[in-house]
Amino acid sequence: MLLILGDEHKQHLEYLCSVSLDVVQEFCRLSVEFLMKGTNAKIYNSAAQKLGVEAIIIQKAIEGLMHLFLESSKLLLNEIDFRDSVKAAGFSDELQSELLRCYLENQADIRRIQLDISMGLSHYRDLEWRLDVKLASRSLRHQVEPVVTMKLHVKDSGKEETRLLQTDPVNLVHMTRTLEEALQELNSAHCRRICRNF
Amino acid sequence: MGFYLLTYLLTLANDTDVDYGRGPWIRKLRMDLSEDVMEGLQLAGDSVHIPDQSFLLLLRIVSESIVDRRPADPHLSAKKEFGSVDRGTLKQVYAALGALLLEAAKLDKDVAAVSQVLEDCKFSQERIKQLIAVYQQHKQPLRSVLSKIGSNLPHVVDVDWRLDYYIKNNNLEKVSRPVFLIDLKTRVNASEETETVQIACTQDQLQDLVGKLRDACKGLERVAQL
Repeated sequence: MLLILGDEHKQHLEYLCSVSLDVVQEFCRLSVEFLMKGTNAKIYNSAAQKLGVEAIIIQKAIEGLMHLFLESSKLLLNEIDFRDSVKAAGFSDELQSELLRCYLENQADIRRIQLDISMGLSHYRDLEWRLDVKLASRSLRHQVEPVVTMKLHVKDSGKEETRLLQTDPVNLVHMTRTLEEALQELNSAHCRRICRNF
Repeated sequence: MGFYLLTYLLTLANDTDVDYGRGPWIRKLRMDLSEDVMEGLQLAGDSVHIPDQSFLLLLRIVSESIVDRRPADPHLSAKKEFGSVDRGTLKQVYAALGALLLEAAKLDKDVAAVSQVLEDCKFSQERIKQLIAVYQQHKQPLRSVLSKIGSNLPHVVDVDWRLDYYIKNNNLEKVSRPVFLIDLKTRVNASEETETVQIACTQDQLQDLVGKLRDACKGLERVAQL
């Protein structure tokens, strides 16, 4: 699969062809850092001064690199495809190797970030449990009622929440059995066939 | 309406209007029955105010309406069995009988304790026997109704699950992993409605969850064997 770069995108990246390799290395490093932690406009200005061009050109070049890495990670391009896509944009062999190296090094991290920002459901993180016995309440004395109290930790796009729940022994056993069945289902022939084919 | 009847009766019973003039037997038995309730009980025991037939029927109606959580019949006094009973008296006796049954069940009182109260309210032996029979018959159901009053955390009653295969999203192609969607159905405070807590799990997370639940079950088993 090839990643087709748009004309505007190619234009922005053209600047990279005119600078030395270590400048390209620096730009690659900056673009990955910006993907992880967010952009920093001061860097554009200081780089512009050092290289003697306008800040906007530096910005477009780095943002172009960020976009290139994002799209390649999204499509999970392998080495050959990435090289071919970049070659089509008109980069020299040296440049291609440099971009490829940076892409491969950081692919896993970039995908992790993309997954984090994707629409997610509240994900389970942890379960704490404890066993209590209810002895009495205002409305009834002389009780012996076992109660299992649970604290469920969930994470929903970065926000962590806890939910307090309770259950009785019968429902606890029922819950455990039902969820064990769910796990077993993943090992069934049907599920394994589907998972293999994707 | 049935629910409010219960709470009303409980507040009646707990109205610790300790009138020392009434005699030490109230505190001795430690059943805090208020003056109104004691008055009502004395009327209930008195065959002039409540004839025998009416007493039996009233006992049955009171106990069944608490246990079945049915609202009180507003046209009770129109029944022919209660024709001779004054409406105000009927109301007081109804409330007093309910309060006695509930308070005795709440404090897990035995037959002797309840009989003692009835004797002090000048019940005939026959009526004591009838009331005790009703009390014993309904004691467990009464306790069961009382145990549901009170605040609880959401109580898990059922679990639903669903297994999806997560292929891709708008930011990322080839996500390719199985995802479980677990629905925990919870009931709050004995109402009939359930609320759902939904969580998603990967295979590893679900294994962790099931492992912890198994630990909880084993912990329970160990305690049960003690």
